[in-house]
Amino acid sequence: MLSEPGHYDYMPWRRRPRITWPNGARIAFWVAPNIEHYELDPPPNARRMPWTRPQPDVLGYSWRDYGNRVGFWRMADVMARHGVRGSVSLNVAVCDHYPEIIERCCELDWELFSHGTYNTRYFYGMNEDQQRAVIRENRETIKRASGQELDGWLTPAISNDETTQHLLAEEGIKYTLDMLHDDQPTPIKVRSGHLISIPYSLEINDVPLLIMRNTPPERFAAICKAQFDQLYEEGAESGTVMCMPLHPFLIGQPHRVSALDDVLRYVVGHDKVWLATGREIAAWYTEHHLAEAQSWIAAGTP
Amino acid sequence: MKGLPEDYLYYPARRRGMDHEIYPFRALPKAQPVTWPNGARIALCIAVHMGHFPMDMPLKPFIAPGGMERPYPSYWDYTLRDYGNWDYTLRDYGNRIGVYRLMNSLTVRGMPATALLSAILARRYPALMDDLAEARWEIACAGLDMGRLHHSGVPLDQERATVQEAAALVRARFGTSVRGWHSPAHSESSDTLRLVAEAGFSFTTGWANDDVPYVMVTDAGRLICMPLSQDLSDQRMLHQQHLPTEDFTKAILTAHQTLDREAEATGSGRILVVPITPWLMGVPHRIRAFNAMLDSMMARGSVWPATMGQIADHWRAQNPN
Repeated sequence: MLSEPGHYDYMPWRRRPRITWPNGARIAFWVAPNIEHYELDPPPNARRMPWTRPQPDVLGYSWRDYGNRVGFWRMADVMARHGVRGSVSLNVAVCDHYPEIIERCCELDWELFSHGTYNTRYFYGMNEDQQRAVIRENRETIKRASGQELDGWLTPAISNDETTQHLLAEEGIKYTLDMLHDDQPTPIKVRSGHLISIPYSLEINDVPLLIMRNTPPERFAAICKAQFDQLYEEGAESGTVMCMPLHPFLIGQPHRVSALDDVLRYVVGHDKVWLATGREIAAWYTEHHLAEAQSWIAAGTP
Repeated sequence: MKGLPEDYLYYPARRRGMDHEIYPFRALPKAQPVTWPNGARIALCIAVHMGHFPMDMPLKPFIAPGGMERPYPSYWDYTLRDYGNWDYTLRDYGNRIGVYRLMNSLTVRGMPATALLSAILARRYPALMDDLAEARWEIACAGLDMGRLHHSGVPLDQERATVQEAAALVRARFGTSVRGWHSPAHSESSDTLRLVAEAGFSFTTGWANDDVPYVMVTDAGRLICMPLSQDLSDQRMLHQQHLPTEDFTKAILTAHQTLDREAEATGSGRILVVPITPWLMGVPHRIRAFNAMLDSMMARGSVWPATMGQIADHWRAQNPN
């Protein structure tokens, strides 16, 4: 076992090379809806059981199913109303199960990136060939369903294994979301190829907030706004990133969708915000800031 | 190199639609528009979880929400419980007192309710059954009791006997008008729906995946699946998440507002099912919040207070296929 991921160097928050975003924006704000399918009868995995109750876990399954049948459509309408595109963390089997969802995403000009095949198929314990096979198949499926290239990655249920990041780079993935170590994009060290990390979030993610921290809707909106306020202020010094990860089965519930509406109205009401996608943030950072960051690290973060 | 078994990357149910045959996929915008009596925008169903929790209920394979969490014999859980946030939540209390407060609140407002009833209560508390009948509450069968959960570890014959016994108990008191089923703790085996259809039920509620009814297909016939949230329920928010009462009532009112606006925008009626529990909402310090919530909902207007069976009938008449 490893004692640390080993994928990045220490980069103190002070003295970093300045990041600038397009049009003088202080903050790159992106929304990452996790559009998922949890199988009714998935195979077991030694490190994690897919469901808490015996299969079929009707309560768990039907709750997630709500996201695709109902929640997604509500969430997408709210985002469209505010002109906020999504960067979809996609269980790519959704392309086969529910093509109408993919159609709606494409119609709204959303990015699709991979969140594995199903949220009930973990990377825990896969060998490199198996991981590679999933990444390749996911790339083909996204291309076939949307015409898009696969640039981004979040391992299904964040179940990455020790070698996953290396394989992502080798398979041409440009950005990973598996690490939560920063509020800016950072270089990622891999055995070959190139990979960067851009900020995802488990702090203002609806799953930990609404399910684990038992947050009511209004409080959820207040937390998201507080996160935004601070990153917007700090972005005056050097550009920050705020990701708002969503799960339609939670945020698309009728008692919660107005909280999303509230947060997005607040965010787009600020003028120095870059409403970006994951791919756009990764491309901009790679082109304009990656080399400088690497030199600064090589020089010992002076 | 060792890895996971080969079939871990094999997906036998990866195809258009669901990964099972129980119901087809349907996106909310594709749901057939429905109208309610008097053009109401919202069909409002108060669904009351009337469970009986045996003190010796099994704690495997999981403890049902509200189940005995303290060591046997937990008089605390069985009769009354201090949840640590200074709320008192109660089981048997709910069937003795809490449910009467709810009945009073609803009756005085002319509102019906649907009781999701542990069938054993039909035998245990005949006086309560008489009062439910007089209040014109709809009775739906919620299994035998909270200790007899339906899950894949239960042998088929045993599960069939449980469904049949539960159906017989509620029908012995309320007749064949009992058409609705709810599996206790929203838990089922792969056979439950078939056994429920076999026992002559016409609708089920507990799959928390839609705001609009849809049809489930079993080998023993069809069932209408009616909406029932767990996420937005007093058991979830007050008992499991320890949230203040006002967070629950506010969430219900927000959901009402969202659904009401959707009904207005789409021209299709919407359904709001409010799942409540006598040992939670029926306690003295919460009942006024419950009353205020009901009054706010009715004050919004264009509400049709109905039982789940009535809503199912209206939906079915407009969705005959």
